[in-house]
Parts: sequence; structure tokens; C-alpha cells
Amino acid sequence: MPPDVSAHGYRIDALINITLVFVTILFVIMCAWMAYSCLRHGRSHRARYDRASRRGIAVVLGFAGAVFFVVDGNLFVTSTLELKRIFWNFADADRAPDTVRIEINAHQWAWDARYAGNDGTFNTPDDVVTLNDIRVPVDAVVLLQLASVDVLHSFYLPNFRVKQDVVPGSINRLRFASRKLGVYEVGCAQHCGANHYKMRGELTVMPPAEFAVWLKEQSDEAVRVHEEALRNGFTPQMIERQWGWSWSENL
Amino acid sequence: MTVVHHIHPEPQGFWRKYIWSTDHKVIAKQFLWAGLIFLAVGGALAMMIRTQWAFPDAGLFTPAGYTRIFTMHGLIMIFFAITPILIGAFGNFTIPLLIGARDMAFPRLNAMSFWTFVVALIIVVASLLTPERGAGSGWTLYPPLSTNVGLPGWGQTLVLIALFVSGVSTIMGAVNYITTVIRFRAPGMTYMKMPLTVWGLWLTAILNLLFVPIIGSAALLLLFDRLFHTQFFIAGAMGGTGDPLLFQHLFWIFGHPEVYILILPVWGFVGDLVSFFARKPAFWYRGTVGALLIVTVLSALVYGHHMYVSGMSPMLGLAFEALTLSISVPAVVLFGNWLMTLWRGSIRLTVPMVAALATIFVFGLGGLTGLLLGTIVTDIYLHDTMWVVGHFHLTMAAATFLGSFAALYYWFPKMFGRELHAGLGHAHVLLSVVLITAVFGMQLLAGLAGQQRRLFDPFVYRYIEPLRDLNRATSYAAFALAASQLLFVCNFFNALVRGKRAEANPWQVGTLEWTISSPPPHYNFKDVPKVVTGPHEFANPVVLEKLGRDWLAQTEPDPALEPDEPGSQTSA
Repeated sequence: MPPDVSAHGYRIDALINITLVFVTILFVIMCAWMAYSCLRHGRSHRARYDRASRRGIAVVLGFAGAVFFVVDGNLFVTSTLELKRIFWNFADADRAPDTVRIEINAHQWAWDARYAGNDGTFNTPDDVVTLNDIRVPVDAVVLLQLASVDVLHSFYLPNFRVKQDVVPGSINRLRFASRKLGVYEVGCAQHCGANHYKMRGELTVMPPAEFAVWLKEQSDEAVRVHEEALRNGFTPQMIERQWGWSWSENL
Repeated sequence: MTVVHHIHPEPQGFWRKYIWSTDHKVIAKQFLWAGLIFLAVGGALAMMIRTQWAFPDAGLFTPAGYTRIFTMHGLIMIFFAITPILIGAFGNFTIPLLIGARDMAFPRLNAMSFWTFVVALIIVVASLLTPERGAGSGWTLYPPLSTNVGLPGWGQTLVLIALFVSGVSTIMGAVNYITTVIRFRAPGMTYMKMPLTVWGLWLTAILNLLFVPIIGSAALLLLFDRLFHTQFFIAGAMGGTGDPLLFQHLFWIFGHPEVYILILPVWGFVGDLVSFFARKPAFWYRGTVGALLIVTVLSALVYGHHMYVSGMSPMLGLAFEALTLSISVPAVVLFGNWLMTLWRGSIRLTVPMVAALATIFVFGLGGLTGLLLGTIVTDIYLHDTMWVVGHFHLTMAAATFLGSFAALYYWFPKMFGRELHAGLGHAHVLLSVVLITAVFGMQLLAGLAGQQRRLFDPFVYRYIEPLRDLNRATSYAAFALAASQLLFVCNFFNALVRGKRAEANPWQVGTLEWTISSPPPHYNFKDVPKVVTGPHEFANPVVLEKLGRDWLAQTEPDPALEPDEPGSQTSA
């Protein structure tokens, strides 16, 4: 697996690893049983006339029960808890004081990102808009709202173990948090046309202070560009960055 | 009440006998030929995908061309190769013979089902001749990509029409199979005396009848969106107030049962074959039937696990997760019963038996790797990666492929009256299972490493770059797998032309098809058989003592129950 740089990815890795151990054990038992039967119970002796001994059925059902309660049980309980606590817990992410909110607009074949900018409100001229370049401060909870203008896409952060489909006509959410500085890759995981493979973006995890400076600069720049455009006779509707939406609290 | 067809004379003209035939055995062979040819086409497309991934810089394909290749690979393999082979060929051939019927309930509907299927094949081939060269949306056909927003042109449209027409063919077949099993079982062939093969095929037919209409209607709505400017599935800035997710629901409420539609017949074959060649009664037959029934019922209740990351309600996700994981119970019962059947048997490693064991092997691996996809939190990472590709190929492709070959090696003598070469068969099956495991095992590894599926050039991503060698090795294994199929092709044609004449019962098995000549006469059973024994009556000590063999035909009563009555053996 690619290195996990997220605050919570280890939870998914741990569940994958323990399940792989279980699965390997089950598979080895099955193979050993088949191999042993083929080697020991060949032509050399007659088959036993046995349709279903009570004990045999008990073994089969006991095994089915054990797999269900141990392997499946562990998967279900862990998965449910982790979803409630972290991965699908958008309410907590919303409440956290330092949550970074970003709107993602997917289209063939790139990712636009939008930050609220200096005024803290989305869909205003001071919004910071980037292309295939998402920046987040380290350690902070990041809450994304994702939309698509054309076809299905899927926002995928392999180093963070998360992904979320992006569906035209609706807004989906994704949360993650990083714990390591660096530049990581954003991929598209849903076939979205001929250049699906090129729909690659970058996620830069920065020190919080640097992030704040970058965001301020970009926001100031956005306001300057916006005012210049208006001075040159463009109406707001004609400006290409005009795809945002007001942050939806209730999804 | 059993219904019995009258015996009609066999048609003698070439056209009536081989082309416009209503004989289920001829129609089975027609489906078999069509399926095998398209299996080769789908295989060739798979090799093109593997070539692209092994040599992405060679410039062999365009990105758009590549999307057509993997889309057509998936659709052709599922709807035009596996379906006709498993259901069209083996369903047609085995159901009447195994239940003691002279033909299908509706012989003409049966022929119509095949020729409708041929129309679908022609439309698919036509789609490949359009400027777009077929569909490019992926076999899942997700809109809006599959609408004019993403892929305008006749290539995609014709493929959708072909899918719809093949669905019509499947439904006609399903009605026929269901009716045949209900009404045309020979006297005494109770449900609990049916071979597991018939159970598998019958439940498959029921699922087909219930769920193929859903994909048919989804395809139709999608066609409306493409041709008549409706907007059922179109949304976003391109206009439209439809719902792309509605299509996903419709697709997967069919698509997940489809997985079982393809695997239930294989489970039936495997259940029978492990008993036949362990020379031992199938362990806990009722448990196996129960497990098949439970899987059939659950099949449509778990489809949501394909949509965990689509943004569905968390409650819905959890419900689908619980239902999905609960499928492990009947699955473990099935596997347990097969393994218990082997235990203390007297195993004969014939070609069909090796293929059946190979099926258990690959399906075991495929089923177990599905646990991580059925669980939401791990699916969030693994969804749409090569892990999914490896998983569903092991279950839907590898298991159905090896299961089909198990069936073909087993029934070939009955179908064609000739024997296949056992050595070549063993080599083919063993090479296939080893290479299949290599190919799809390495795909699982690539998925665990995060590689997405359907990437024209996966190595534009830095984190996939280290997997270049793994992908190339997978491709070489796939090429070897394709090459090893020549063993089968040689064996098949050689046997058809020069194979040894097959005996009536070469495997020493007691189900009804082996009580008649190989190949069976036009009307199958001159006298309708009276069934008194189960399909897996092996190793009965009284039979051994009195008849000197370890098996009992389904028409023969158990001598232990009727001791020494003169003439009690095959009366009626």
C-alpha cells in the first residue's frame, strides 16, 4: 500500500490487515483439506457411505457460525464504529474549530478546488480557485463538498485511504486529515471518459502558517483579478471561476 | 402432474436438423458454439488490455480506443460468452436429460431464444463496425458518461440495443427452464431427487426472469436519453434534472443477482461433480439446496455494496453491509459440504474433477477477497481499484470459466458421443488454474497497492510507478493463459473428428442422462424413466455386495430397501 499520511488511515489499514490474516487462514484450511483429501482418500480405499452425519453437519454449521461471528462480526462492528466516529462523521468535522472547507468541482478531466477566501464565505469574488492543486494545513480536519458538471468522477486520495464518488446533480462530502507534510496525489477512480487516466491532481500538505499566508495572498489576488475583469467590461456571469455554491450545511 | 412430450420423428433435412432445430440438444450446441467464439473474442480483447498495461508507452492504442476495448471485453464476456455457455448450452443440454424429459417445455420458444440471441450478436458486431468501434462507458454503462453527454454516436447505442435484445433472449430461455423443471420432471423425480446441477440452473433461471427485465428497462430508459432527448439519468451543468444514481440502483439490482446467475449453475456442477468423483453421496444435500436457495433470496438484497462510495445514506449503507456479510453463512455451508464430500471419499482425479476442484480453489480465493469489499470502511479504500477487478474475475470469470470447462469435459461424451483426450485435458485445466491464479492474484496485489482500474496508462501516477513490473508480469501470465487455451482447442476439434466413441456411461454415474446412449437419441428417453433414487447414490454397501458396483442409477431402487424381490430392479 502507498504510505499512509493521514490521521485515520491506519484504522482502515489495521482492518484490512487483520482480515487478510483471517482470509489467509481460511484459504489455507480449504486448500490443505482439498490436498489432504486428494492424497489420502484416493482410489486406494472405498468411499464411506455417509450422506450427512450429525457431527459433520455440526462441523459445517459451527464453522459457518464461527466465520460469521468472528470474521464478519469484526468487519461489521469495526466498520460501523469507524464510520460513525470518523469517516462518515461529517457533523463532528463541521463542528471542529479549525476545519478547512473546500469545494471541489470535478469535470472532464481535472479537479477545481475553491476556498472561501478572506471573507470566509463561499461563492464570493475573493474565493481562491485552483486547478488540480489542493492545499491543506497539516493536522487540520479537511471537509470537502464535491460536485461534478459532466459525468461521474471519484475523488481518490490513496495516501489517505479515502475516496468519494462525485455525482452530477448532487453534492457529496468527504473528510480527511493529514499528519505529514508533503505533496501527494489525487486520482480519479471512476471511469469518466477517454482521458480518465489523466485526471490527476496534487494535494499539498503545508505547515499551517504557510497555508494561511498562501490563502491570504491568493484571496487578495482573486479580488484584484475580479475587479480588473469587471473594469474591462466582463460581467460576473462571464467569469469562468463562477462555478461555486454557498456551502451547504445540511446534506 | 408430469407432462410428457410425444415422440416426433427426427427431422432429416440439414436446415431442420442443425439450424432451425427445436431439439434442446442441438440448441445447446448452437449456444455452445456461439459462446465459445465470443469467449475467444472477449479473450482477445482482454489480451489487448494487458498489452496496453505491459507496454503503455508503445502507443498501440488511443485512450478512447482503450475505453472501447475494456468496455467490449466486459460486455462480451458476461452477456455473449459466459451466459450462452453456462445457461444457453449447459442449461439446455442438461435440464431435460437430468430430469428425464424428452425436450424443453416450449421447444419453439427455445429456438426463438437462440435466434434472438443471434440477432443480439449481430448488433454487437455491427456496433464494432461503427466509427466509434463499440461502447466506451465501461460494462457498467454508468450515465451520464453513457449518454450523449459523454459518448455520442451509434457505437454506444447499438451496444445498448444488443444488450436489450439479448435480455429478451435470456427471458425466453428462463421461462422455458423454469416451466420445464416444474412440469416435465419424470415420475418420481421429486425436487429433493434433482441433481444439484438442475437446482443451480433452475434458480438461475428464476433470477434471470426476475432481474433481466430490470436491466432491460434501464437500458431502454438510457436509450430514450440517447435517442429521444429524455433526461432520466442526465444531471449537472450539461442540463438535465435526472438522477445518475437511479441508473446505478437499477443496474445493480440486476447486476448483483447477475453474479449469482452466473455462479449458481457452476455451484450446481461442482456440487454434483465432487460427489460423482469422490464416489460418495453429496454431503448434506438438503443443506446445499438450502444454501443455494438462501443465496438466491439474498442476491438482490445486497446490491447496494456496489454503491458504498456513491454518496448513499449511511443507514442504507449499513443495511447493505450487514446483508452482504451474511451471505458468508450459506457460502461457508456450500464450501463445507463440498469439502465434507471429499473427506473419506475415494477420489478419482478425472479432468472434470480436477476442473471442479480448481473452481473451488479460485472461487474460494475470490469469495474471501470479497469480504473487504462488502465492508464499507475497507471498500472506501479498495473501491474501483484493481482489487475489485481481481476479486470479480476470480469469482465471475475464473470460477465460471473453470466451472464451464468442468461441465464441458464431463458432458462432452454425452453431447458429442466422443471422448476428449484426458492428458491434454489435465494439462489444460492445470495450466489454466495456475495462470488464472497468477493473473488475478497479481491484480489483487496491484489493487491493494491502490492502483485504480480502467487506467489507460496507470503509470502517470507516481504511487503506481513502482508497480510497472507487477503489471507487466501479470500481462505475461495472461498471455500464457491465452496460449494454453490452444490445448483445449486442439483437444476439442481432434475429439470431434477422431475421438474415441464414448460409451453410454463412461463416468459410472447414476443420473438419468447416463442411462441412455451417447449421444442421446432425438427423443432422449424412449420410455419415460421412473425415478426412485437420489442423484448421488454412491458407495452403498448393499449395492456393492449385490450389484458389484459402487453406484446406483436414479431408476434403480435401493436393494437395501427391497431385499431380494424378483424383478424389482427396473420395473416400470
